[in-house]
Amino acid sequence: MPDAAAEAERLLAMLAAAGASGTWDWDIVADRLRVDQRFAELYGFDPAAGLADLPTARFFAAIHPDDRPRIRIAVAAILAGAELFSKEFRIVTPAGTTLWMHARGQSHLDAMDEPVRFTGLLVDVTERKRAEERLRIAQSAGGVGSFEYSDGFATATVSEEFCRLLGLHPAQALPVRTINGVLSDSAVPLIPEPDREPPPETLDHVFRVRRADDGGERWIARCGEILREGSGYRLVGVIYDVTRAKEQEARLRELNETLEMRVASVIAERQEAEEALRQAQKMEAVGQLTGGIAHDFNNLLTIIIGNIDTVLRRFDPATDPRARRALENALKGADRAASLTQRLLAFSRRQPLAPKRIEVDRLLSGMSDLLTRSIPEAIAIQIAPAADLWSIEADPHQLENVILNLAVNARDAMPDGGSLTIAARNVTVGTEGEPIAGVPGGAYVMIQVTDSGIGMTADTIAKVFDPFFTTKEVGKGTGLGLSMVYGFVKQSGGHIDIDSTPGQGTCVSIFLQRQFDSGAERHEDIEAPAAQPGKFSETILVVEDDDDVRAYTVGILRELGYRVVEAHDGAAALRLLERQETSISLLLTDVVMPQMSGQDLAVRVGAMQGDIRVLYASGYTREAIMRDGRLEPGVDLISKPFTYHTLAAKVRDLLDRVQ
Amino acid sequence: MMPEGVALGDLERDALTEIVNIGVSRAASNLRKMIGDHVILSVPSIDVVSQRRAARLITEREATDLIAVRQDFTGPFCGRALLIFPEANSLQLVRAVTQGELSPEEVIEIEREALVETGNVILNSCLATMANLLKSSLSMTIPELLRGSGAMLFEVDETSPSDGLVLFLYIDFAVRRLDIRGYIAMIMDLPALETLRALLDDFIARVVGDDA
Repeated sequence: MPDAAAEAERLLAMLAAAGASGTWDWDIVADRLRVDQRFAELYGFDPAAGLADLPTARFFAAIHPDDRPRIRIAVAAILAGAELFSKEFRIVTPAGTTLWMHARGQSHLDAMDEPVRFTGLLVDVTERKRAEERLRIAQSAGGVGSFEYSDGFATATVSEEFCRLLGLHPAQALPVRTINGVLSDSAVPLIPEPDREPPPETLDHVFRVRRADDGGERWIARCGEILREGSGYRLVGVIYDVTRAKEQEARLRELNETLEMRVASVIAERQEAEEALRQAQKMEAVGQLTGGIAHDFNNLLTIIIGNIDTVLRRFDPATDPRARRALENALKGADRAASLTQRLLAFSRRQPLAPKRIEVDRLLSGMSDLLTRSIPEAIAIQIAPAADLWSIEADPHQLENVILNLAVNARDAMPDGGSLTIAARNVTVGTEGEPIAGVPGGAYVMIQVTDSGIGMTADTIAKVFDPFFTTKEVGKGTGLGLSMVYGFVKQSGGHIDIDSTPGQGTCVSIFLQRQFDSGAERHEDIEAPAAQPGKFSETILVVEDDDDVRAYTVGILRELGYRVVEAHDGAAALRLLERQETSISLLLTDVVMPQMSGQDLAVRVGAMQGDIRVLYASGYTREAIMRDGRLEPGVDLISKPFTYHTLAAKVRDLLDRVQ
Repeated sequence: MMPEGVALGDLERDALTEIVNIGVSRAASNLRKMIGDHVILSVPSIDVVSQRRAARLITEREATDLIAVRQDFTGPFCGRALLIFPEANSLQLVRAVTQGELSPEEVIEIEREALVETGNVILNSCLATMANLLKSSLSMTIPELLRGSGAMLFEVDETSPSDGLVLFLYIDFAVRRLDIRGYIAMIMDLPALETLRALLDDFIARVVGDDA
């Protein structure tokens, strides 16, 4: 059958011209193989031995051993009746090169449907195989999945990595609906639904997906290109996982947000501190103003009270009772002015501490009226000092202020009422007594103010003595109350302890050292009424820059029978002293004077005449004769304004004191 | 999970794919004779999966409901064979195999019969070829038509812990220049699959010989 052979020859030549790397024609009935020139070159057949009439087994000769069984099975199927042959396999050329071939073939059936011929061609796909390999590695190594979608189709062509990223079973094509089914939010589809939407503007988008296999929530970014083709379009793009970036972004955003919060809280803290500073500056300014006014005001009151007092003493009430009542009223008014000045000083805390021996039970019972007035009826007050309390030494007025301060704090902690107990008892701290943290061993009188109020947290307690710390609204508290309490207690050599539980109440304990009954008791009863006369042998030097005050003071002392010399300032006083023949018994000097202060003068006078006694007169004593807010030991002070009687008593007391 | 040792080796899978290819080639030849037109069938790949996974696979791949022709087979290995199409494709297929001469109403009328007949040709060819090449014989029941979801077709019982195995084959139809995608599934139990595997190994040994 030369025609058939020629026909086959012609067919093989056509295929070779179309770009085939080789062609074959397998005659199943005759069991012989015919190949073309290229096929023979690839397989290393000797062309001289002829290209037709080869044993069919030679078809497998150059196929890579690993691929050979697979191809044998496929060929067996063709010989048994399968129609299509489409296989990829490697062949090893005579030069030792490995090439990838795509073999496409077809069986030809006779009238009985029995296969008679098997023809096909080899195409070198090595380049494509390499490119596919590169693409596959790029996708798996980079975690990038690719897709391709043609407008109008219900499926999209996808890569294995694409399926893996979305948790879908690997497939080459997936329905668009299956792909979009993994989206958590379907507002924007991953692949456009066919016939439903206009082409997207861009492929750049980030999607939240729930993976189909493990249900994991992931963020997937999509990008790629939209290719216009005629009236339609084609989408070619990739997806990749951006969950980590998204999470980091979220963490960063959270950090940013908390940063703003932290900045806001620092700013708020700063504003509070500034507010507290303003409040403190206000207090300071008020204090300075008060002090300045008090000084001049007390001088004026000394003159007014002194002179009214003098008139009253010399006035015969029988002559004009109405005039006497008028004078007495004037004196009462001046006294009220004096106590106002005193309160101003107390408010501005410019008052020196004047420690005295105190019986705490008497002090507490003396305060009960004041406390009852300050505390509303909804709060039950109990004042319970123990019997046989020891004596202590402290400034009684300041101690009263401290107790009042604590009581007011307790009141503010109980807006809905409750109970307030002010107790006092003797406590021995130390190895033999009660161990109390922060309180050194010794004998104390403990004053305890207990309320059933809102209490405080440990944080608040830690800050409660800080100056300017307040839990009250701005403007209501100075934030100085407890810090002044603390200052006073420490200044008085005592200790303070706070115990509080939120919601249950607060207990403040003040420990003041027991004062033993040694030494003479100094009963400085300023209000002592009896005027004790002086002797002319006793010379008093009065130094006062206010002429009216000096004149009044000198007048009283002369009236009492003392010999008095006077000077309007320190320098004049020293000159006088140099000329003085008889010794001076007492120096009565103002504290605040221009050029030389009362204290400087006292030092100079002391150097000239060692045994001189000094009495300071002051309407406003700030630092000159105080140390840590207390009068220095051995310093005596008479507060302006003073009366005939108080001055008489104070001078007499000093002169009579055994040195 | 799939039991160890049930997964087919590469060669076994190739061999089974080719055997089914022969089967569908025969079917295509029969269909060509039936409708006198160009029909090409091919099986690009094959998987052995659990029933549950098979149901998920087909649900992921097909958006619409499914239609299937079912036949049970008995012999050295027993099981149930299914030819599955997306329901959307079934009328197209009917129109293709009825040579496009019918009105839409008539197509719907004979859809059932046409599908059952087509399914019968394809499944019969496949199973007969398998039996023939594996040198055994199978007998088959009358075909049935089913509609439903993947889970229904694969009789997935969510309450049952055991899970049968499915030989899952993808099949491409080209009829009158229409591309129709379909699936052949063979649900078998473990002993049946083991028998099939032994028969495949015999076949491979015969064909490949020393190259294996």
